[in-house]
Amino acid sequence: MLSVRHVSKSYPGPRSRDVLHDVNLDLKGGEYVAIMGESGVGKSTLLNLIAGLDAPDTGTIELAGVALAALDDDGRTRLRREKIGFVFQAFHVLPYLDVAHNVELPLALLEVPPKDRARRVDAMLAAVGLDGRGTSLPRELSGGELQRVAIARALIHEPMLVLADEPTGNLDPDNAAQILDLLRTRVKAGGAAAILVTHSDRAAATADRVLRLTAAGFTAEAPK
Amino acid sequence: MATSAFGQARYPLVRPGVPLVFPRDHGAHPDFRTEWWYITGQVRDARGRAFGIQITFFRNRPGLQEESPSGFAPKQLLFAHAAIADPTHGKLRHDQRAARAGLGLAEVSPTTTAVHIDDWSLALEGERYRTRIAADTFTMELTFSATQPLVLQGDRGVSRKGPRPEQSSYYYSRPHLATTGTIAIDGKPASVQGVAWLDHEWSSEYLAPEAQGWDWVGLNFDDGGALMAFRIRLRDGGILWSGGSRRDPQGSVRVFAPHEVRFEPLRTWRSPRTGGVYPVAMRLRAGDASFDLDPLMDDQELDARPSVGTVYWEGAVRVRENGQPRGHGYLELTGYVRPLKL
Amino acid sequence: MTGRLLIGPILQHPGRSLLCVVAIALGVALGFAVQLINGSAISEFTRAAQTLAGKADVTVRGPRQGFDESIYVDLARRDGVALASPALEVDAKLPGREEPLRVIGLDVFRAGRLQPALFAEGADLLDSLRADTVFLSPAAMGWLGVKPGDTLTVQSGLARHGLHVAGALTGEASLGRVAVMDIGAAQTLFDRIGRVSRVDLRLASGVDVERFVAALDLAPGLTAERPRDAGTATDRMTRAYRVNLDVLALVALFTGGLLVFSTQALSVAQRRAQIALLRVLGCTRGQIAGLLLAEGLLLGIVGAALGLAGGLALARIAMEIVGADLGAGYFRGIAPVLRVSPVAALTFGGLGVVAAVVGSLGPALEAARAAPAAALKSGDDQRAFAALRPPWIGIACLGAGAAASALPPVDDLPVFGYLAIAALLMGTILSLPALTAFALARIPTAQRIPVALAIEQLRARPAQAALSLAAIVAAVGLSVSMAVMVSSFRTSVDAWLEAVLPADLYLRSSSGGDSAFFTESDQARIRDVPGIARIEFLRWQQVLLDPQRPRVTLLARDGVDLDAERRLPLIGPIASTDPSLPRAWLSEQTAAIYGFAPGQRIAVPLNGRLHEFVVAGIWRDYARQNGAVLIDRAIYTALADDRSANDAGMWLTAGTTSADVQSAIEAVTGKDAVEFATPGEIRAVSLSIFDRTFTVTYALEAAAVLIGLVGLSSAIGSQVLARRREFGMLRHVGVLRGQIARMLATEGFIVAAVGLLIGVALGFAMSLVLIHVVNRQSFHWGMQLHVPVAGLALFIAVMLMLSTITAVFAGRQAMAGDAVRAVKEDW
Repeated sequence: MLSVRHVSKSYPGPRSRDVLHDVNLDLKGGEYVAIMGESGVGKSTLLNLIAGLDAPDTGTIELAGVALAALDDDGRTRLRREKIGFVFQAFHVLPYLDVAHNVELPLALLEVPPKDRARRVDAMLAAVGLDGRGTSLPRELSGGELQRVAIARALIHEPMLVLADEPTGNLDPDNAAQILDLLRTRVKAGGAAAILVTHSDRAAATADRVLRLTAAGFTAEAPK
Repeated sequence: MATSAFGQARYPLVRPGVPLVFPRDHGAHPDFRTEWWYITGQVRDARGRAFGIQITFFRNRPGLQEESPSGFAPKQLLFAHAAIADPTHGKLRHDQRAARAGLGLAEVSPTTTAVHIDDWSLALEGERYRTRIAADTFTMELTFSATQPLVLQGDRGVSRKGPRPEQSSYYYSRPHLATTGTIAIDGKPASVQGVAWLDHEWSSEYLAPEAQGWDWVGLNFDDGGALMAFRIRLRDGGILWSGGSRRDPQGSVRVFAPHEVRFEPLRTWRSPRTGGVYPVAMRLRAGDASFDLDPLMDDQELDARPSVGTVYWEGAVRVRENGQPRGHGYLELTGYVRPLKL
Repeated sequence: MTGRLLIGPILQHPGRSLLCVVAIALGVALGFAVQLINGSAISEFTRAAQTLAGKADVTVRGPRQGFDESIYVDLARRDGVALASPALEVDAKLPGREEPLRVIGLDVFRAGRLQPALFAEGADLLDSLRADTVFLSPAAMGWLGVKPGDTLTVQSGLARHGLHVAGALTGEASLGRVAVMDIGAAQTLFDRIGRVSRVDLRLASGVDVERFVAALDLAPGLTAERPRDAGTATDRMTRAYRVNLDVLALVALFTGGLLVFSTQALSVAQRRAQIALLRVLGCTRGQIAGLLLAEGLLLGIVGAALGLAGGLALARIAMEIVGADLGAGYFRGIAPVLRVSPVAALTFGGLGVVAAVVGSLGPALEAARAAPAAALKSGDDQRAFAALRPPWIGIACLGAGAAASALPPVDDLPVFGYLAIAALLMGTILSLPALTAFALARIPTAQRIPVALAIEQLRARPAQAALSLAAIVAAVGLSVSMAVMVSSFRTSVDAWLEAVLPADLYLRSSSGGDSAFFTESDQARIRDVPGIARIEFLRWQQVLLDPQRPRVTLLARDGVDLDAERRLPLIGPIASTDPSLPRAWLSEQTAAIYGFAPGQRIAVPLNGRLHEFVVAGIWRDYARQNGAVLIDRAIYTALADDRSANDAGMWLTAGTTSADVQSAIEAVTGKDAVEFATPGEIRAVSLSIFDRTFTVTYALEAAAVLIGLVGLSSAIGSQVLARRREFGMLRHVGVLRGQIARMLATEGFIVAAVGLLIGVALGFAMSLVLIHVVNRQSFHWGMQLHVPVAGLALFIAVMLMLSTITAVFAGRQAMAGDAVRAVKEDW
């Protein structure tokens, strides 16, 4: 489903540095993987490369059998729109849209008929525990609630891959546990694969398997 | 000279006993208030189509700005009407012009008949009148040649129009004018010939204030005789004055007294445009004779409101006596829409 | 959904969006109002002219004094002429009234066929022919407050004549204020025997009008035109003035567009992460650019709609208060009805929308280009302004502006002058980031924390400061340039008035109109009035030098040739001339419009003949925009066979007061028949007219400054809001509220000072273009540069104060929330 082959990435400039060097990663459909590693080792960069937001210097990335390098920006954008869901550490919920409309955004981009959208948004909001909060504005929500919105938005269009970058980094431990649980449940329920980038062992423990990213590439860790 | 007051101006009055002198009296008499040269006639083209024609030049002295040094001062006003009665057309084709005399663009001569408004003109040359009329939808270029001496109307040219002596005009007629020339309707010219009648009349007190209008007729008989008759109607329907004359083919003239002239309407026609009801067919009793007048066509109404402010009926008629055709002439009916003012 | 994505950001910053809308609306409103007012006046003027001309195909006109009636007779008799209708037009003085009444003498028999609309149906024909009756247009009746049956008094020469008002001219035609009477009566009344001033011709069917006109071969001073061209001539007359106002409106629109640009650029910078998120979620570059452009479009449409409504209201009010010529005196005697022109609405509404869309184009494209992954990271917003950095585009623009100011006018319009102003404005705006960075780098580093922080903050983000400044620089530049130009103009006019009013007392037969004058015997009697040491009479009329152009004023004054150096505001030396030819002194306008130089010969039509003069010198004239030719009255009297005079200047003997002389002259002429004025009074009236003319300009200036100021405060405010986390952090580490306020005040002060500096410099540059290029090419008059130092200093001080207050006020609002939340807040 996802195949990362010999990918390297470095950022030019006065403080030029290699971020990723010859990284390989394979992900099967429905697989839930955690990636851990030190700060600056390139976890977020890898997610950006997989999402097609950035291009590797060398190596290839194939998503659902499509080589990203073969697509132009618009092509990669469409692929991302359809196949990928994103969850960020900083929530990134649009402040001027209410909860339901934030969640609806991917469906709108995919031009799903409005009737279907409302139904799916309602179901999804119920599934993430935000039943009845559809008309709330982001400023009225707590951090945990905002992240639920983000998860709902990442899954609403039934992507085949969910990328979560430190989704609990801004949350207190109780909220974090609930969110991790929710993320896993919802990803599995949708049959999607997921990559969870985290510093937290507790978070990593929710994954099917854990990969540790170092300057030398991935080393596998058995699930606990 | 006796005068009549109007505006700031004094007008001379008509006095009996002053003999008319020709050719001087063919010309204009600018001191008098009104004056006209009035030609009516009937002509036929080469194919035998009959037309009635009317060409009139009026002169008016309004008595305004008489001291003004301006060339535009309206001391003398000139008007002209022209009409063609064409039975195939059903109504008159007519047009009119109006101007103040002056600057050479519109003038009237005091020495002989010579009057023009822009390119409309009437002039006497010897014993021939020439006219040129360039109207919007027709043109006329005609010559009228005298075949008989002129007729002085009334008392040696002074024609009474009312019970008071000053209600008179100087008036002579020229019947049996041999007419030739060209008329062009809508740009199609046709040579015509026929017989016409000219009236020249001037006055300062023509119409009494209580008068409604007049009926007038001028007839050229086929035998060379001529007859003129008129009556002046009152606003109450009565008759203020009548008059006329008849000259027999031998040239002797009989002047009718007022009671000798009677007009009896035989048939009326109502104008769809003005609502005026005109007695277009008349029985005329003049002396011991009686003539029936039949219009060439009913609608011979002429709307001259844009120039002189009146509407009248001026129509070609056929004359019969005892059922026998006797000749042709023109019948004029005025004051049938509103009282006539000069 | 798209709707929400569009409306959301706009509603998030309602104040900022409203400001953009208001700015656009203001520009649209001003442009639309100017167009509406002038359009209505022109259309009214044209309709009046067409009603007067009626069904005429050709109108032949001559000098204001008329031409010989034999020309009318010749025209009437000419082949191809179906009907000729003569008219004598006189602007008659009405005793006790400043404005004259146009009296048209007509031949009812001819005009009745050609111009039937001029005659009341059912009116007595004799009334149209009487020497002492007039028919008035409804507008004239309303103006004069008379009705049929009343008496109207007009002045001819120094005598008064009562005219009987016989009736109203047909009401349906919009004629303006006119009276119609018999042409013969008019010739007599106004002493114009033998003269007509216009002949309307109806041609026979099938006659080609162009060919007929070409073959006319009219006498000198006469012109033949098609009546429908009358509006065009008027349009041309007011064009320079109107284009001036239109350009001002466009500048307001430009300022609005700039405001949209800076607002959108700042907004996009702040929403960078949001936009990046949309990209991450799958919006294409095209969709992002489209979304941002649609925001601009929406602002533009709302602004344009409000602007059109406002323009309509503004036009109504302006026409009520200052009149259809906006106080400039072009449209006397007509009372236009406001006519809404769809074309003008579409044009100015469209311009408003375009300004907004173009303003948001740059930020939209930039946002679409940004790499989403990088943009999601905070602190990236400076990158947004990188594209604005290269200063060479701005410098090239400034250079183009300087070059354009040296180019000649196009079709009598200072097209390149306006382009130069646009280029200077654009160049300065484009150079703003570089200029701002340059200026900020030169501010010495301060020791005290708030000031030091402020300077560091500004230095770190010069592009943002530049963006906040765009609108204020444009507005200040515009205002300063107008202020310098108007002040130079006013000072020059004042100096000129002093030069052209050397006498102690002035006497005129009529301030407007041409029916009142002094006959030769009037002049002799006035000359004999005791207390007058010297008197010079002046005769003026209008003559046609070129059929394609409006008439120029011919001035004939006593003693001009004897004393020109001292008595005329000459520009340049007196040419040594051929003594066999009479001398003519041309106004600056005449020389510029017709291309005459001293020493050249000029042919002036007088009394139907061309007379040769030699140009002896050029003098400055601010009074007669269409040009003036001054000759000695002795020569005029001989050539034109006209001994009348309109005005006189008097020097009084020692010990005589103006009042003595006034009453002595009134004893000769009759009271109210003449007007007196001292040089001081004339100066005061002239300057008040001047100020009224520039009222609109002042209003536009104020509006532009207001937009700029609000724009600046909004930009500062929005940046302050965006820095809430920064303030929260500062408060966490122990910075006092007051210190933050001082920091913001310093920032506001510095930004405003930089902006004002640049704006004033720009304004001076533009004022030079206005004075030496735009005014010279539009109106053909020169002026001395005069800088209103005190006024400008006050203006700058007020602007600085307002900007500083704005920054502090915005900071206080931003700090209203608690610091802990501000730190946690993500955006």
